[in-house]
Amino acid sequence: MNFLIQILLSFFSVFGFAVIFNTPKRLILLASINGMLGWLIFYFIQNLNSNFVLPPLIGSLFVGLLGEMLAVYNKQPATLFIIPAIIPFVPGYGIYYTMFHILNNDISNALSTGLESIFVAIAIACGLVVATSLIRIVRPYLDKLFD
Amino acid sequence: MNSHDENFIINLAINVGKLMLESGAEIYRVEETIERMISSKIDSKVDVFVLPTGIIVSTKSSVKSITHLERVRSYKLNLEAISRANSFSRIYTQNDLSDEELDILITSLTDIPQFSNKTTLFFTGLAGGLFTGLTGGTFLEIFLAFSISLFVGFILKRLSKFNPNFFIRNIIGGFLVASMGVLSYYIFSKLGLNLEYNRIIIGPLMPLVPGVALTNGIRDLISGELVAGGAKILEAIFIAIALAFGVGIALQISFAFI
Repeated sequence: MNFLIQILLSFFSVFGFAVIFNTPKRLILLASINGMLGWLIFYFIQNLNSNFVLPPLIGSLFVGLLGEMLAVYNKQPATLFIIPAIIPFVPGYGIYYTMFHILNNDISNALSTGLESIFVAIAIACGLVVATSLIRIVRPYLDKLFD
Repeated sequence: MNSHDENFIINLAINVGKLMLESGAEIYRVEETIERMISSKIDSKVDVFVLPTGIIVSTKSSVKSITHLERVRSYKLNLEAISRANSFSRIYTQNDLSDEELDILITSLTDIPQFSNKTTLFFTGLAGGLFTGLTGGTFLEIFLAFSISLFVGFILKRLSKFNPNFFIRNIIGGFLVASMGVLSYYIFSKLGLNLEYNRIIIGPLMPLVPGVALTNGIRDLISGELVAGGAKILEAIFIAIALAFGVGIALQISFAFI
């Protein structure tokens, strides 16, 4: 049941952000599915271990790989599939709590959550860059596959 | 109009690049697009330098060199525009277009379809509300976050007529989200329902929080665009500071009363 709720919530919140970012109509569904799968992987890994860098890294690696493949298939830039899809694990929560701790004069907690959100952002960026570089290697085969 | 004039080609490429940059495309993609468009039509060395706030293009041949500078002021994510600019440059570089064909192609860039204000507003509410759900909110909290997100989206849309500076805009956004979040928490606690106000605030804040800007900045940094990446990260940090100001003012005031 919880699994089903996660699927629905992540799908529709990515869908909402895709509309806010004015994604082309026929690609919104694909972007939302990409985001949903990425969030499920993130959620699954988060429940397996307590490390905070690993879930966003693997999640964004998956989102990047699927996004780049969808991009080759649809002949569109990969950003269209990646930007809405990384929203669920972007460290908005961490940025909010950093601000919250600063307001409560709790500097040590603010520093640790702040550092955590910066590393989450770096992990997401790393995952995406690795995905882009990997796809660049297999790009000729992909082009042949989709033609 | 002479579509083979060097100045025309460079200006066209810069305008396409500007559209992409204003729509939130990556720096390297903008540089690549401009360079490809120019070097497909002009036989000289092309150098493109793109910053988040401007584009500099210079072409050098043995007889003359031309440099153009275009200032870029604001940007807002618009993926449809990126998609269109991308296919425009693909068609432009691969074909030799006549003037009429080029005119038709350019109109695909000038009128970009946009979701209606009501649709965007509804989905702003939906995105904010469901994000509260993703962080573990109950049904009531999701509903509250949905309404607050809808309301704040509406107010900010109204405010955008006055062209507020991004810092002021985010202070107002953060203030509205936090004050309404705490207010609804207060009302429901009087009714005997205990809600978590942090969760109600984080959802509607999500469309404002610069998570994507921060991630994109780091992505540019990793790809070697040090100046552009640094500038984007700095912008993200200042948006976060502005939101903290707004949220902070609202929370301090409401803690004094509750």
